[in-house]
Amino acid sequence: MANVNTGELLDFQDYSPDHNNRSARIDVEAVHTNQYNNTMSNPNYSFEEPKAIDEPEAAPQTNHNFWTIEYYQKYFDVHTNEVVERIISSVLPQKVSRNFFDERIKGKPDLYGPVWISVTLIFTIAVSGNIASYLHNANKKGFVWRYDFHLVSIAATAITCYVWLVPLALWAALKWTTNTDGHDEIENQDAKSPTMMSLFCLYGYSLSIYIPVAVLWTIQVFWLQWLFVLMAAFVSGAVLIFWLMPALRKSKYFVILIGSILGFHFLLAAGFMLYFFHQPSTIEPDVVGPATVKALSP
Amino acid sequence: MTSFDTKYDMYPAGDVGVVEGEMNIPSQGVPSGNSMEFNTLDEPIKETFLRDLRAVGNKFYHVLIPREKSSLLKEWDLWGPLLLCTLMATILQGTEAADNTNDGGPEFAEVFVLVWIGAAVVTINSKLLGGNISFFQSVCVLGYCMFPIALSLVLCRVILFSTQTTFLFFLRLVLSMVGFIWATFAATKFLGDSQPEGKKALAVYPICLFYFILSWLVVSHSNV
Repeated sequence: MANVNTGELLDFQDYSPDHNNRSARIDVEAVHTNQYNNTMSNPNYSFEEPKAIDEPEAAPQTNHNFWTIEYYQKYFDVHTNEVVERIISSVLPQKVSRNFFDERIKGKPDLYGPVWISVTLIFTIAVSGNIASYLHNANKKGFVWRYDFHLVSIAATAITCYVWLVPLALWAALKWTTNTDGHDEIENQDAKSPTMMSLFCLYGYSLSIYIPVAVLWTIQVFWLQWLFVLMAAFVSGAVLIFWLMPALRKSKYFVILIGSILGFHFLLAAGFMLYFFHQPSTIEPDVVGPATVKALSP
Repeated sequence: MTSFDTKYDMYPAGDVGVVEGEMNIPSQGVPSGNSMEFNTLDEPIKETFLRDLRAVGNKFYHVLIPREKSSLLKEWDLWGPLLLCTLMATILQGTEAADNTNDGGPEFAEVFVLVWIGAAVVTINSKLLGGNISFFQSVCVLGYCMFPIALSLVLCRVILFSTQTTFLFFLRLVLSMVGFIWATFAATKFLGDSQPEGKKALAVYPICLFYFILSWLVVSHSNV
């Protein structure tokens, strides 16, 4: 009782259609002044919903609710077993049904998985990067190892950029390269090509394989580290392509798109491994990282 | 516009009464606030201060022995989290070395921001999942439940005064792990019920991650 928050009370609530004129009117006046004026007697709220799913980032003005927490709740409306299923599907696609992507992820993209998989990956890389640098330097004489907290910010920058920019670029590429096929196919293409949210969702889940791999990267064996890079990039890239195949096939630059999806995935994995986990075997003060240089001096 | 306004004015008063009935429910739910009838205007400052301090201490006690959850959830405050956060940031901050490079530890502000932003993000996550708990209640619980971790940090700090051996490192590791498990257990106990069935694990996982990161900072803090 005491914890009913004011946001819920003040927010738009769904009363009977002829009473919600006033709330709906505020929405309408904000953006669609002339478009919906004649439909005032209807519950206008339902007109906004489909628009918001298509382009929530590009056009925040189209929905009055964009700044409220309820707007985002539809992206977090998942259950534990769904999240587990989606994580499994990003590694082993044969475990789930064939049209899993079309039915589940495209129909109901969630942001819970992408957000928390990214955060987990950021901190896993920071923690195990520190463990790797400790293992690398542990048996040196007179060496005082110190941890480097600032790996967190570097990892966060890299992963955030990857998770947002690459799906955005892919979405744009899919949109423009398929659009030019023919004008009569537009309805068909709109139905088939994945929305931006589902691409974010798919990419976020595809990072999940890097979390166990980041732990395994602490093993300081050079060929084993490269093996993990290749394996992780290949498995997760291949699963991405597997799910996106129907949309990709319609694009004119089919091969280039597939190549760049795999290439970016490989670059991400190789970059992680080389930057955070691999230290050159020659121990010179100018090639070990800044934190270790300082640690050697006292 | 005008036609709409007149239409709205014509609504019978009975409809508005229904809405008022809904709005009155929360104020009726907290009779405890009205029943506290003592006068705080002419009491000494010491008494006021001690009462607040006792309330904060009482909440710390409830975090350590998480049995009844009403005190933390009903009367939330942010004094305890502020104290804990300041304490942890002061101990954890990296020291300036002789050459002006940092020793790799986080700055005071970084710990501070990590704790508050972390608690806010975990809270927003549970709100997004549909949990029925207010924002500050959740931040308060998450902040108070840092107490075991802060305790382990203080113990680690004491251990760090002696010469370091492998055994002492493992002792610190065990201490911070105990702090982590204790904090997660307490926070889960307080916040777990606010989530709908089937989403509990999704809400608990970020809490685990949050306390895990703090414990990682505790165990990694070694600059002597």
